[in-house]
Amino acid sequence: MIHLPSSPFPALLVGLPILMATLSLFFRPGGKAAVGLMGSILTAGLALIAFVEVTQRGTVIHILGGWEPPLGILLRMDSLAAVFIGMTAIVGVFISLYAWGYFRAQETSAEGLPLFWPLWLFLWAGLNGLFLSNDLFNLFVTIEVIGISAVSLAVLTGKTPALFAGLRYLLAAITGSMAYLFGVSLLYGSTGTLDLGLLGEVLEPGPTTSFSLLVITLGLMIKMAGFPFHFWLPPAHSSAPAPVSALLSALVVKGAFYILLRLWMEVFGVSLTYAAGQLIGLAGAIAVIWGSWQALIQTSFKLIVAHSSVAQLGYLLMVFPLLILAPGVSADSADWLSPAWTAGIYQVIAHAFAKASFFLSAGLIIMALGHDRIESLRDLVGNMRITALAIGIAGVSLIGLPPSGGFMAKWMLLKGIFLSGQWWWAPVVLMGSLLTAGYVFMLLRLAFAPAREMNTFRPVPKSLEIIALMLALGSFLIVFPADSLIQFLESSGVFGSGIESIIEGGVYGND
Amino acid sequence: MSILIDILLAIIMVYLAIQCLLTPRLIQSVFLFFAFGLGLALAWVRLGAIDVAITEAAIAAGFLGVLFLDALKSFAPKVSVKQDNLEDIYKLPRRNIKSLILPRVILVLGLALFLFIALEAVWMIPDGGGLTASAEALLPQSGVEHPVTAVLLNFRAYDTWLEIGVILLGLLGVFVAGGIKLYKKPGASKPDPMLRQVILFVTPVLFLFGAFLLYIGKTGPGGAFQAAVLWGAIGILLHLGGKPIFAMIPRWLFHLILTMGLGFFLVLGFLLIADGRTLFEYPPAYAGLLILIIETLGAISIAAALTAIYANLNQMEEETNEVEPTT
Repeated sequence: MIHLPSSPFPALLVGLPILMATLSLFFRPGGKAAVGLMGSILTAGLALIAFVEVTQRGTVIHILGGWEPPLGILLRMDSLAAVFIGMTAIVGVFISLYAWGYFRAQETSAEGLPLFWPLWLFLWAGLNGLFLSNDLFNLFVTIEVIGISAVSLAVLTGKTPALFAGLRYLLAAITGSMAYLFGVSLLYGSTGTLDLGLLGEVLEPGPTTSFSLLVITLGLMIKMAGFPFHFWLPPAHSSAPAPVSALLSALVVKGAFYILLRLWMEVFGVSLTYAAGQLIGLAGAIAVIWGSWQALIQTSFKLIVAHSSVAQLGYLLMVFPLLILAPGVSADSADWLSPAWTAGIYQVIAHAFAKASFFLSAGLIIMALGHDRIESLRDLVGNMRITALAIGIAGVSLIGLPPSGGFMAKWMLLKGIFLSGQWWWAPVVLMGSLLTAGYVFMLLRLAFAPAREMNTFRPVPKSLEIIALMLALGSFLIVFPADSLIQFLESSGVFGSGIESIIEGGVYGND
Repeated sequence: MSILIDILLAIIMVYLAIQCLLTPRLIQSVFLFFAFGLGLALAWVRLGAIDVAITEAAIAAGFLGVLFLDALKSFAPKVSVKQDNLEDIYKLPRRNIKSLILPRVILVLGLALFLFIALEAVWMIPDGGGLTASAEALLPQSGVEHPVTAVLLNFRAYDTWLEIGVILLGLLGVFVAGGIKLYKKPGASKPDPMLRQVILFVTPVLFLFGAFLLYIGKTGPGGAFQAAVLWGAIGILLHLGGKPIFAMIPRWLFHLILTMGLGFFLVLGFLLIADGRTLFEYPPAYAGLLILIIETLGAISIAAALTAIYANLNQMEEETNEVEPTT
C-alpha cells in the first residue's frame, strides 16, 4: 500500500476544519458564525478537489510523520472514502448554509448556540478522519472526536429534554466506544499491528479473533443505532436543533456503518460465517419493520423522521448477508455482489440527502408554528409551498419510488436478494417501503388538507426553504451519474468484493 | 511471590468495583472509586506501564475526584446524600420487583456467557509481539530517548493531536450543556487564612513538579498529560482561593492559552506539508526541540481546559444554590 502515490489532501481534510474551528473560538457570536461558514465552504471545496484528484490518480495515501505502518499511521483515500467524503461535503455545506440563516432567525439565544460552529467543524474533521483512517486505534480516536462533538451538538439548546436525551446518547456512545476498544486491544495483542491492511493479511481465525469481531460489531451497532441498540436515537435526534438533527441523522450514524463495512470486508474475512451475516441482516430487517411502524404511530414530525432513520439504517445492515458468500461459492461467480454494493452506497447517499431535507423542513415548520405536532400541518401547502414540496420529494426518495436515489437503492437490494437466492429478505424490503409510504402519505395528506381553524403560520426565510428543497432534489439528482459513480467505485478499494466464508466452526465463529 | 501480589490486587480491584456500585451512600461510592483508581494505577505499575500509572492516578483519583466531590456538594443541601433519596428526588419509577425477576435472570445468564467467552478470548490470545521492538529500533531518529514519548509525540503524533482536540471538545461540551459561566466573577468569598497558606505553599511545588514531569518525559516516564493535571490543580486551587484566573484575564488570552497546544501542533504540521513533508514529519535535527515545545504548550492548554471545566461547573452550582435557597 505504501507504494501508492502520496498526496497532502488527506491530512488537509482533517486539519483545515480543526484550524477553522479553533480560529472561530476567538470571535464573538456573529464572528463565530462567519468564520464557521467560511470554514465549511473551504472544507467542502477542499473535499471536492481531493475527490477529483482520486478520480484522476486513483487511491492516494498520506504517511503521517513519515513513519510507515505498522508503527506509524497511514491515511488512505480510495474511491470508497472519496465518495463518503464527497457526500459529507455536499450535504454538510447545505446544512451549514441553512444553519447560518436558522440561528440568525432564532429569537431566544441560548449562550451555547454559537458554539455550533466549532463543534460542527470538529465533527466534520472527525468524519473525514474516520473515512480516511487505515488504523484500528486511530479509528477509535476519530469516533471519540465524532461522539463527543455529536453529543455536545445534540444538547445545544440546553433544555431539559435535550439534556436527558443527550446523556443517554453519551452513555450509549461511550459503551459503544469501550466495546470497540476492547476488541481493538485484543486484536493488537494477538497480531502486533493496528494497520487494517496488515491485519487483513496476518489475522488468523481463533477464539480471540471471533470475540474481537463480536465486541467490535456490537460496539459499532450501538454507534449506528442498529436494532436492538436503537433506543437512544429517536430522543437524541428529535430534541436537537434542526440543523443538528440533520447532521446527526444524515452523516454521523453513517460513520459507524463505514467502519463496520471496512472491518468486515478487509479485516475479519477469516472469522465471518454465513450465520453471522444472516444474524446482522436479521437485526437490520427487524429495524426496518419496527422503525417504520414506530414512525407511523408518532404524532410529532421530528419523532416520525427520527424513527424513520432507525428503519432506513436497517436497510444498510441488510446488505451484509449478501456480501458473505455461502460455502463453496466463489466471489467471481457471485453476480449479486455488485448490485448489493450499489444498494448499500446508494442507500447511504440517498438517505443522507432525503433525511437532511426532512429535518431541515421540520426546523422550518417549528419556526413557523412554534411546535411540530402533525395535526397542525393542515394547509401546509397553502402557507409554505416550497417546504411542502421538499417534504414530498424527500418522502418519495425514502419510500423508494422511481426515479429517486432511494428507488435505486431498494431496486438494487431486491436484485441482489433474488440473484443470491436469499429470497426471505424480499418481503421485508417491500413491507418497509409500504410502511414508509404510510407515514409519508399521512404527512402529505395533512399538508394538502384544508385548514380546520386558522393556523397562524409565521413567515419563514424563503432561502431556508430553498435549501431544504435542493437537498430533496439532490436525492433524485444522484441517480444520473450512477454509471460513472459505480465505475469509479469499482476502480479501487473493496467495492464489489465478497467474503468467502467457511461453515464449520464453534458456537460463534469458526475456531 | 509476585503472582500472589497480582492475584491479591485483582481480587481487591473487583471487590472495590462491586462495592463502588452497591454502596448506598454516594460519598462512599466516590471514595471507593478513588481507591479503585489507585488500585488500577498499581496494576499498571505491575504491568510495567509507569506512564499510564501516573496518568491513571492523576486523572482517576485526582481530577475526577475533585469533580465528583464538587458534584456531591451540590446535592448536599437538599438531602443527606443517599442513593435511595436521590431516586425519590428525581422521581425514578420504582418497579415491582417480581416483574423484574425474569429479565434479571436472563441478564445475569447473558453476562455470565459473555464473561466466559471474553475470558476464553483473553486466555487463548496468541502472542503477537507488539510494536515495542520496532519503536525501540527507530528511537534514535525520534529526537527523544523514552519510547512512550516517541510513540505519543512522533511515531503516532496524529492520534495525540486529535486527543488534545478531544479534551478541548470536552470543555465545549460542558459550556453547551451548562452555559458559559466561566467569565463571571464569583461572589465575594470569605478569606480563609488556612487555604491561603496552603495555596501559597503548594502552588510553587505543584508547578515545579509538573515542569519536572514534563521535562523528564524526554528520557523516562512522564510527559505532557501528567504535567497538565498538576498544573490544572494549580488553577483549581487558585479558583478555590477566590482568584478565578479565567475571569481575571482577557478572553482572547484565555482562548489563546486554551488552543495553543492544538494550534501550534497543527500549524507546524501545515508548515511541514508546505515544505514538502507529510503532516508531523519533523526534520530529525529539530525533532527533540519541537517535541519539547509541543509538550509544553500542550500541557498548558490541557491544564487550562481542565481548570476551565472545573471552574465552569463550580460557577454553575453557585448559581443554582442562589436560585434555590437551601431547605
